[in-house]
Amino acid sequence: MSDGPLIVQSDKTLLLEVDHPDAKACRMAIAPFAELERSPEHVHTYRLTPLGLWNARAAGHDAESVVDSLIKFSRYPVPNALLVDVAETMDRYGRLQLVNDPANGLVLRGLDKIVLVEVAKSKKLAGMLGARLDDETIVVHPSERGRLKQALLKLGWPAEDLAGYVDGEAHEISLAENGWTLRSYQQEAVDGFWAGGSGVVVLPCGAGKTLVGAAAMATAKATTLILVTNTVAGRQWKRELIARTSLTEEEIGEYSGERKEIRPVTIATYQVLTSRRGGAFTHLDLFGARDWGLVVYDEVHLLPAPIFRFTADLQARRRLGLTATLVREDGREGDVFSLIGPKRYDAPWKDIEAQGWIAPAECVEVRVTLTEAERMTYAVTDAEERYKAAATARTKLPVVKALVDKHPDEQVLVIGGFLDQLHTLGEYLDAPIVEGSTTNKERERLFDAFRAGSLKTLVLSKVGNFSIDLPEAAVAIQVSGTFGSRQEEAQRLGRVLRPKADGRQAHFYTVVSRDTIDTEYAAHRQRFLAEQGYAYTIVDADDVLGPPLPQID
Amino acid sequence: MFSEPDASPGHFNIVPRRLALNTMATTFADQLRSLTDEALGALVQLRPDLVVPVPADISALAVRAQSRGSVARCLDGLDEFTLRILDAARLTRSADTALTSVDAILELAGGTSADDVRVAIDRLRVRFLLHGPPEAMAVVGAVDEVTSPYPAGLGRPADFLDPRAAALCADKAKLRRTVLAAPAGARAVLDRLAAGPPIGALTRDTVAEPVRWLVEQHILVPISEAGRAPNADGELVELPREVGMLLRREAGPLGELRPFPPLPEGSARDPKAVDSAGAGQTMEAVRSAEALLEALATEAAPVLRAGGLGVRELRRLARAAGLDEVAAALLIEITYTAGLLGETDATGTSRSVTVSRAGGAADEIFLPTGAFDLWRALSIAQRWHTLARAWLSMSRQPSLVGARDERDRPINALAPEAERAGAPQARREALLVLADLEAGTAPAVDEVLELLAWQAPRRARGREGAHRDALSGAALLGVTALGALTSYARLLLEDPDDDENDPLGVRATASAAPHDAVRILDALLPAPVEHVLLQADLSVVVPGPPEPELAGELDVIAEPESAGGASVFRVTPASVRRALDVGYTAADLHSLFRRRSRTPVPQTLTYMIDDAARRHGGLRAGSAGSYLRSDDEALVAEVLADKRLAPLGLRQIAPTVLVSPLPVARLLTQLRDGGFAPVAEDAGGAAVLSRPKVRRAPTRTTLAGRPAEQAGPPVLAGPRLAGVVEQLRRGDIATRAARRAPVTVRAANGQSVTGLTSVQRHGEAMAVLQQAVRDKARVWVGYVDSHGATLSRLVRPVSLSAGYLRAEDERTETLHTFALHRITAAVTDEE
Repeated sequence: MSDGPLIVQSDKTLLLEVDHPDAKACRMAIAPFAELERSPEHVHTYRLTPLGLWNARAAGHDAESVVDSLIKFSRYPVPNALLVDVAETMDRYGRLQLVNDPANGLVLRGLDKIVLVEVAKSKKLAGMLGARLDDETIVVHPSERGRLKQALLKLGWPAEDLAGYVDGEAHEISLAENGWTLRSYQQEAVDGFWAGGSGVVVLPCGAGKTLVGAAAMATAKATTLILVTNTVAGRQWKRELIARTSLTEEEIGEYSGERKEIRPVTIATYQVLTSRRGGAFTHLDLFGARDWGLVVYDEVHLLPAPIFRFTADLQARRRLGLTATLVREDGREGDVFSLIGPKRYDAPWKDIEAQGWIAPAECVEVRVTLTEAERMTYAVTDAEERYKAAATARTKLPVVKALVDKHPDEQVLVIGGFLDQLHTLGEYLDAPIVEGSTTNKERERLFDAFRAGSLKTLVLSKVGNFSIDLPEAAVAIQVSGTFGSRQEEAQRLGRVLRPKADGRQAHFYTVVSRDTIDTEYAAHRQRFLAEQGYAYTIVDADDVLGPPLPQID
Repeated sequence: MFSEPDASPGHFNIVPRRLALNTMATTFADQLRSLTDEALGALVQLRPDLVVPVPADISALAVRAQSRGSVARCLDGLDEFTLRILDAARLTRSADTALTSVDAILELAGGTSADDVRVAIDRLRVRFLLHGPPEAMAVVGAVDEVTSPYPAGLGRPADFLDPRAAALCADKAKLRRTVLAAPAGARAVLDRLAAGPPIGALTRDTVAEPVRWLVEQHILVPISEAGRAPNADGELVELPREVGMLLRREAGPLGELRPFPPLPEGSARDPKAVDSAGAGQTMEAVRSAEALLEALATEAAPVLRAGGLGVRELRRLARAAGLDEVAAALLIEITYTAGLLGETDATGTSRSVTVSRAGGAADEIFLPTGAFDLWRALSIAQRWHTLARAWLSMSRQPSLVGARDERDRPINALAPEAERAGAPQARREALLVLADLEAGTAPAVDEVLELLAWQAPRRARGREGAHRDALSGAALLGVTALGALTSYARLLLEDPDDDENDPLGVRATASAAPHDAVRILDALLPAPVEHVLLQADLSVVVPGPPEPELAGELDVIAEPESAGGASVFRVTPASVRRALDVGYTAADLHSLFRRRSRTPVPQTLTYMIDDAARRHGGLRAGSAGSYLRSDDEALVAEVLADKRLAPLGLRQIAPTVLVSPLPVARLLTQLRDGGFAPVAEDAGGAAVLSRPKVRRAPTRTTLAGRPAEQAGPPVLAGPRLAGVVEQLRRGDIATRAARRAPVTVRAANGQSVTGLTSVQRHGEAMAVLQQAVRDKARVWVGYVDSHGATLSRLVRPVSLSAGYLRAEDERTETLHTFALHRITAAVTDEE
């Protein structure tokens, strides 16, 4: 029996023992077809999904090689049924092809006539297919390309898309690598994306996703539409692009609530694209405003549903999705895969941390014991209000203060989800607050002050969930959140992961109320990061408050 | 169209007219008698059913060897080539003597190697399907009755069918010219009929035109299917033998002959890879079977009234075990056969496992048996061995589950409809095909079926389903992997005896070999581990099959997440609470994780256990008969201190609450007697006021007025009495009539005859009747009429088919029809 690092489970998960000498080789072998699901400290979990196997087929791996690597690295005999299933699944890919026919435009071609007949009969494809040219060819309207691919995927007969991409309007863009170079994983991510044509790159917060976008643009050398979550993030993109590429301020346009500029590189917010007037989306023309060669979706895990629909029409253009956590609380990861593209690159957070590209972080959960009065209030609160009652308990205030005081020399972010709590905290800590209603101007001012170091502590509302670049922040304290959102937790940790100049550690504190629903939500929130290998430590508030007990008035 | 003058009603067979047939039978018996002991022994060895039970003498053996049942069984075991040679023997019989010769057969077999043909002829002769000297061999009569009326797919001779066709066939040159002149459509019809069977029905208009042409040319002869109502689809046409042989010019008159089995080519796999994939599959099968029974133990499934396990229940179990329904049905059937699963009363008393599946009584449920617990304690290889052996011997066809029966009702798992007596043999046949190939050869399923069809065409017909079922089951159990037989499964099958030696499938029982199978499989399977890997996300990974003790611990303290080569569990607050509930303390859990884990115990886990332990038992529950509460703590204390109230067994559970095991009425009475002033409360807390009720016994029905029952049996009158009398008279007549019949018949009819009491075996009676039909001899038939009376008659049997004997009574000159199952005895008339 071989002594490989891999254990194949009957539910098609693969367990990889990371401390095994062959672990690295094994990861290289299985990465093309298996998806990394969890990467805690000792055993990483990969999963074999039909999608992953088909992507591997698309990338030129055949069933034989997949089966071979499974058998080669497996510690135990691999069940026959699983091997057969892998081969059968991979065999389904490419029986249908989407190709550009010189005479008839986009057509669906069946290498297997029976499959073509089967899918043509399906009700799910009603209206997407046009005239039947011959036994193995059916015309497809170009606008249905995305929807057809999505529907075929659901039917289990994924089409191989050979119709290619339009190059778009050429525009010279190159990276200005003065004093810095693209990191190896960023280069790998760009290469993976370019080879696949379209897809999603998953990198931890602070690992330089913007640069991956910039490098992709430099490879495409074409006009680019960048979709971001909000105006501040858009400006950060602009700053970064000007600094790191040959693009000048005049070449980059901002398309937001405030300005409507369309330039060779245009940065638009999701918000403005999904805003409606009289029930109609008024800014959709942007997609057709230029012959875009590349569309970049920042924070693709937050992509709003209407954008999905528009994206279906953009299948002939190259699409790049960027995210730190491909965990969507609405469970629509599948739509991201089929419309923007499959995951093209993924790296465990801890690997990038080990390479020094993100700061090592210590995650601590501080459990606060509620006072008798607070416990009584919590006990009689209605179910819907319970989380708020537990999360906004006043007992948390001195603990937050103690934590801030513990790091006198650091830049501290206090992040919460309930505005009244944040205001109380702002007064208690004597720190300014950035919330949804804060004007962009005021935000910029506060962020600049924070970056400069003149402001040590900043209280953030949910705006802290989005990409704001505050490289100096080394301590984050979260006091409340959006229930059990794993993705929010990851984003918040991301705020402090920018590598520090002296390589010092970042601290991420979560203050929760003991014996309440707050604890349960915290456990759920931590799941994603724990699966990424972040070991949480749980401490009691008394340990934090320590000997110099602060007085509560 | 014209009718067929020569075709005798009832059958198409053209059995050449024989010489005195009675002497023929004697000849057969004499031939047997003249055999050496070795040769006779060889015959018995090849046809073991001849001596079950041992016949009284050689004559009886001869009758049995010529009986339809035995001949059919013997033919079932023969390969395609030998059967074709038997067809050749039938075709080459001379019209006068009904005899054939080796030379005639060799001539007909044409291009095939003479040695191969001779070997086949010898095979037929040692089995006494052909008998007599090589230059004058006879085919046993029953062969014509149990095989196709068209030997080698050729029609009857033209002169037998139609004089005009005969005239055409007589002129070879004209025949050839006519056939060559046939239009394309007609030629296609001819080719199809020439390949056999040579009979076609005139149905569709599209083929009608070419067929009409052929009929007009007398190449095809219309026949009416004798003995049946005219076919609604139209007439039947037959291709005369001569034309058929002409059309088969290229392949030879017998069609394509394959003296050697069509060996599957198959792709070659690395035997090691096969074993490895198979071993993985065995783990999977064992784990799935366990998961299924585990799911059944958690929630038992009811036995359907018609027997079996309902579709919905099967689906539920399959989902719980993560299987598809086909696999679940197979494993359920196997575990049942292996005795790991059984029925029991819903109330608790278990029923013997061996009782048939048919007809579940009300309120019965399926549950794992006690054997399941023993089985679980075995090693994986041994567990698999139990399942695989049960599967091999299982007379069930699991692929039928989910299909529909002839009444279009779905067949359920464990239901009697999926019972197939031939299944074990079909399974063995299919696996032996694989076993005969070189290790690692993976033939396609169709190739295996093709070979099986060659090996025993008569048996394989209609068994494709069973063979496919066997192959898919083998893959699921890990008996085969990557399409090839695994080395350990080969040992499971291995048996020194020759396969043909076992037509009854008795040999399915195991020999000593399986121990080797277990040993080899054991070496392929991972060794059990006793440690785990703990991670920060609270997952527990067991990097291999867990030791039973470890598995038991993890079952309690963690939730399973994924199983297979390794197992992944997750510790949750709920699972820790469950562990605390069954008696683990926090310290126990800490030490258990420390002891079992190869990696440091995450701080989060330690914290969670302590936290759960702290909260465990924060609420207390119990039962009491009644409670006593008061806002006045002093009053409560006073009640508790009152010695007179000691019998109430009051216990203080809070400063203001006391509980008592007694009902609330006793409590109230005693308290009032003690001088307190309690008020009762209802469930909502409101005061209940009651006044005492007068007691009465429960109401019951009156005893008076029931009439006394009459004693003794009822008095008969009217038609019933007349019926009884008539029955008596009829019995009397029957007895008198039967007195003349031979003793065997009388004995069978229940009349006591000295020295002969046993009923004649049904099979023997059939053999006598079959022989009598051939010999046109008179027999005494004893039978039971529709009123239940026993009679006997001297008749001359005409035909024996479809469950009925038709025979003529020479004295009354009438044709009688006897239902075969009513016939109690048959004896040849010796006068």
